[in-house]
Amino acid sequence: MSSANKPTTAVKLVLLGEAAVGKSSLVLRFVSNDFQENKEPTIGAAFLTQRCTIGDKTIKFEIWDTAGQERFASLAPMYYRNAQAALVVYDITKPASFIKARHWVKELHEQASKDIIIALCGNKYDLISKNNEEGEEIESNRKVSIEEGQNLAEEENLLFFETSAKTAYNVNEVFMAIGNKIPSGKKKNNDGGLGLSAGRGDNDDNNNGRVDLNAPIDAGANNANCAC
Amino acid sequence: MSFLGNLKDKVSQAILEKSSANSKKLTKDESFRLEYNLPDTETIIDESAAEISIVSPYTSKNSISDNTLPFFSGKIYLTQRFLVFRDVYDKRTCSFVLHISSIKKVERVPSNSYIFALSITAYSGLQYIIQYVGIRSRSEQFSHKFKIMLKENLPNVKHLRPFLETCYSEYLLSKNHCNVEEFQNQPAGGLGLKFKFPGDARKLKDKSKMRLWFEYFKAHGRNITLSRDQMFYKLIRVGLPNRLRGEIWELCCGSMYLRLDNKDEYSSILKLNEGKHSLAIDEIEKDLNRSLPEFPAYQTEEGINRLRRVLTAYSWKNTEVGYCQAMNIVVAALLIYMSEEQAFWCLSIICDRLVPGYYSKTMYGTLLDQKVYESLVQKTMPLLWEHITKNDIQLSVVSLPWFLSLFLSSMPLVFAFRIVDVFFLNGPKTLFQVALAILRINGEELLRTEDDGTFISILKDYFSTLDDSAHPNSPNEHYRSITKFQELLVVSFKEFAIVTDEMVENFRARNKNEVFQGIENFIKRTQLRNFPRTRNLTPENLSNIYDRFYQIVQSSDVKMGGGTSLMDFELYKVFMSEITDWVNLNNQYEDKNQDAFLKRLFNNWDVEKRNALTLENIVVGLNKLVEIDLMEGLSNFFELYDVDGNGKVNKEGMLLISEDLLYLTTPWRDGFKLDSITNKAIESAIADEIIKQQQLAEKINKEREDNANGNSSSNENLPEIKIPTEIDIDREKLERQQSERYLSAASMFIQRSFEYAQPEENPEVPLIDLDDNGDEADRMTKLMANAALDPTHPKYLNLPTFRMVILADETYELFFSETFRDSFHIDSKINSLNKNSRNLRDMFDGLLADGRRVANEVRRRMDTQSASSAASVSSRVQQNDNTSIKSRSHTISSFNDEEDDDFRGTPLEEDLLDNAEAQVLSEIVPSEGRDKLELANNSIVDHDVKILESFSNENKNSTTTNGKKNDPAIIEFET
Ligand SMILES: Nc1nc2c(ncn2[C@@H]2O[C@H](COP(=O)(O)OP(=O)(O)OP(=O)(O)O)[C@@H](O)[C@H]2O)c(=O)[nH]1
Ligand SMILES: [Mg+2]
Repeated sequence: MSSANKPTTAVKLVLLGEAAVGKSSLVLRFVSNDFQENKEPTIGAAFLTQRCTIGDKTIKFEIWDTAGQERFASLAPMYYRNAQAALVVYDITKPASFIKARHWVKELHEQASKDIIIALCGNKYDLISKNNEEGEEIESNRKVSIEEGQNLAEEENLLFFETSAKTAYNVNEVFMAIGNKIPSGKKKNNDGGLGLSAGRGDNDDNNNGRVDLNAPIDAGANNANCAC
Repeated sequence: MSFLGNLKDKVSQAILEKSSANSKKLTKDESFRLEYNLPDTETIIDESAAEISIVSPYTSKNSISDNTLPFFSGKIYLTQRFLVFRDVYDKRTCSFVLHISSIKKVERVPSNSYIFALSITAYSGLQYIIQYVGIRSRSEQFSHKFKIMLKENLPNVKHLRPFLETCYSEYLLSKNHCNVEEFQNQPAGGLGLKFKFPGDARKLKDKSKMRLWFEYFKAHGRNITLSRDQMFYKLIRVGLPNRLRGEIWELCCGSMYLRLDNKDEYSSILKLNEGKHSLAIDEIEKDLNRSLPEFPAYQTEEGINRLRRVLTAYSWKNTEVGYCQAMNIVVAALLIYMSEEQAFWCLSIICDRLVPGYYSKTMYGTLLDQKVYESLVQKTMPLLWEHITKNDIQLSVVSLPWFLSLFLSSMPLVFAFRIVDVFFLNGPKTLFQVALAILRINGEELLRTEDDGTFISILKDYFSTLDDSAHPNSPNEHYRSITKFQELLVVSFKEFAIVTDEMVENFRARNKNEVFQGIENFIKRTQLRNFPRTRNLTPENLSNIYDRFYQIVQSSDVKMGGGTSLMDFELYKVFMSEITDWVNLNNQYEDKNQDAFLKRLFNNWDVEKRNALTLENIVVGLNKLVEIDLMEGLSNFFELYDVDGNGKVNKEGMLLISEDLLYLTTPWRDGFKLDSITNKAIESAIADEIIKQQQLAEKINKEREDNANGNSSSNENLPEIKIPTEIDIDREKLERQQSERYLSAASMFIQRSFEYAQPEENPEVPLIDLDDNGDEADRMTKLMANAALDPTHPKYLNLPTFRMVILADETYELFFSETFRDSFHIDSKINSLNKNSRNLRDMFDGLLADGRRVANEVRRRMDTQSASSAASVSSRVQQNDNTSIKSRSHTISSFNDEEDDDFRGTPLEEDLLDNAEAQVLSEIVPSEGRDKLELANNSIVDHDVKILESFSNENKNSTTTNGKKNDPAIIEFET
């Protein structure tokens, strides 16, 4: 709670990507520093928040985690509407999920806010890096090369990370990188760029007690992790 | 590809679903089946008023002999396989659905002469005494039909015993020695039998509930003979006991009847599709480990395998739905209390009847019911709704999973199952009632939040404390003992009893269109976004093509009842006729060539060789056909004839090309369309005419001036120069010239093709000496006769030669660089296009609407003439740009013979026009044509210029001889 006096920027972030690539797991890792082997699929969408401090600003991520199955795609616009950031996730052991990621990036560029910050995540890095004395990759599991990811990121101007929700590899880094790209000069009252978010920003302070009660330990743990 | 294919299916499915959903006026049979949860095969064969009494083996003998048995007045219905009764006042007082194959004995009850009664004994030992009310003959008729149905159901009787062996109720009675028949083996049931049912059985009072049901079954029958009275509904309301839950669920929703009627279907579906792959199976596999993972059975192979089999079997049974996330949770829940087969049929009823469209590929049912839910919130809790919208809170984030997973993923399972108990009994309105009650109960707190996060966490907290006291601070002990969950049930089913099936249906109907429109727009956007890049088609073009494609495909799909989203050749012809000027489905003459060319295009676009085109095929194909780059466009066209892709087109191919070009240019040959050469000629003609009239007017003025010699003031009073109000254009002549130009282009094409075609393999001495001085026609005949058809000297055309030959001709060059592309109409929206109006009249309209071009032409002419005298006209015409210069289109279209000689306005000077035309041809052809020709092939330039010159001379001759008799097309200038 040392960040109480610092300006808080609320960032609406949406997660998109094929089913079972690990979107909810990334969020769970980021928000609660936890991992579940058998995470139930997200039905529709889930909403979580997490605060963290980057430099001298505090960012409150309002995270919209969406369902990955293709038929849920028509719901997605409801959730990425007004989003300032997006995490497009694929599974580096599933080529089809990378194609899907491409589609999502395209859709975001076309339909979402113009200056949305997009990070591309090749998740489940642990599946290719474990069980190896040399620390080398087990290439047989890898189906999407790092170059493919990098190329897409370059073409479309995205942040790019390979991550593992399981080992926490690069998870905080993704969110930090997004946080760093969020324009910092803004005051909390106009962070959303919309009248509605402004109202919401004010309210955050009023409701701080309640929000923090829900995850005081996690927030603490995470602040330790991500204070850069 | 599968992504797009998937979406296409969604589109057509949405349409089909829409059309079926729109025609929702239930028939009597349909609502009857829904009310009693009967299979779709049942219809009401007969019905009669009746009074019934039910006698169980445990009814006291006294009450029978005393005639003090309770009886119920109501109506009895006969269907193919069921005898259905309901109390006339209240269905809940007494109703039953008796499967005919469960009937063991039917007797006439001995009674006095005017009462007609039957006694029916079921296998369970229960006796139903039916006393008909009404005319005797009607009762006899009913009985007669009943007898027929009994007979027809005889073959089903053998299925009875094996079926009963799967019912826990029978086993329960047997175990307690209260069954007529013996059922010694415990039937296959849910995973809970082995892995323990969720919740604390003692706390749930499972044993006493079981006891109550036991008594109920003894007196009221069970499964397919069960009769319902008030007690039945009460027993469900308090929560079902674990071991009976599955059976009561399937009885309440009617899936039990499907299971009875379709014995073995579940296992045979599995067997039939063993080892097969599908998208649904991939999706199912991803979720198997993610379904109620906290229930121990789903950490074992056994549990996972059951789940896999049920989901997979259903995905094969209903490929339209396949698999949707949330189904895994629902089925995992069912399987705790049900056998695989029970769960399979129960899932069928859930998807088809209880929550139709929830799990479909478009999820339209889910989206629709979210809208309905929002409407109901607005209606019943206006303050809260206002608060939600004002703060832009996404209600659906919390509510969508409630509906989609029947609350199973939102609250602790023990509670969710209690809601599911009621859901199977009362149907989908239950979901709305509970969902509304949740907001009502938490309303005050929710009103204090203004962001999604808090909103969601309030509800999360609520669900995790459902077991707590609802009134922890109440001094009244009874109040304190009421849990939040009990409170939820009361609010749901008492306060929100106002939410009826009918109300839900009304709200659905009201929101349907908006939801479907949203889905269609989304699908279209997604599909268009994922098309390959098409540089020759604008996004607007694509959007129009999309609309037109689906309009055509689906109008035929609806008729055929399919949903393929593929366009076969016949539909393709319709499609092309709608977007081009050169496909005319009403013209018998062109049929053969038209079909041949379209078939060629069709095959070329049909990349996957499935003899049908996808939307993507169409888009890619069209993009090639309207290629903006001339060289690329020629290459694409050549490719149509180079079927084996070796870069060569043989003699037959050359002939085909020339025939097809002849066919393609029909609209221009027929004067139906004008190309820009002709347009320029018209512009020239108009300009000349204006100048001529101008000069005439000036001459008159001058004469007047001369006449009024000496009168100085008259100079200022001179009348304004009159702009011609009408201009006559010789339409027929222009058309004929154009037509001749196209014919000549065609013949030149074939001639040159053969002339410049490469000899195959060992080049021999050309048959025809290139320096041959014989006349053109003679040469051509010789060429055709010899080179083309002489099989001993095969020749072929390659792409460079083809390009060269096309570019050698101005008309064809223009055709490929401009004219052909202009004959596509994909920039106009569907339905806004009236093909009949695309004729000469439009061309004139178009030309004159752009008055600037005419004005420029006039100015250009004037520059070459005396500039001073014409200046005023030029500026006058310019003033009128776009606004007042209009063609009197009706004059042109209503042209008839009587008016032939009516040369309104100034008579036409034909040599002026001839000059103009000659000018057009000589001006444009060598300069533009040659430049490109030189690029292509230097050697033939001179030759071609010669040909072109001779062509224009020919034309000049023919026009001068016929000029006078031509129809003048009159164009009026409004000033
Ligand atoms: N090995 C490994 N497994 C992971 C990782 N992240 C997620 N998983 C597993 O992958 C499965 C799916 O993870 P989820 O987080 O539920 O995936 P999701 O993208 O949210 O899926 P939907 O909600 O269906 O769209 C779960 O079984 C996770 O345990 C990872 O980094 N490494
Ligand atoms: Mg998820």
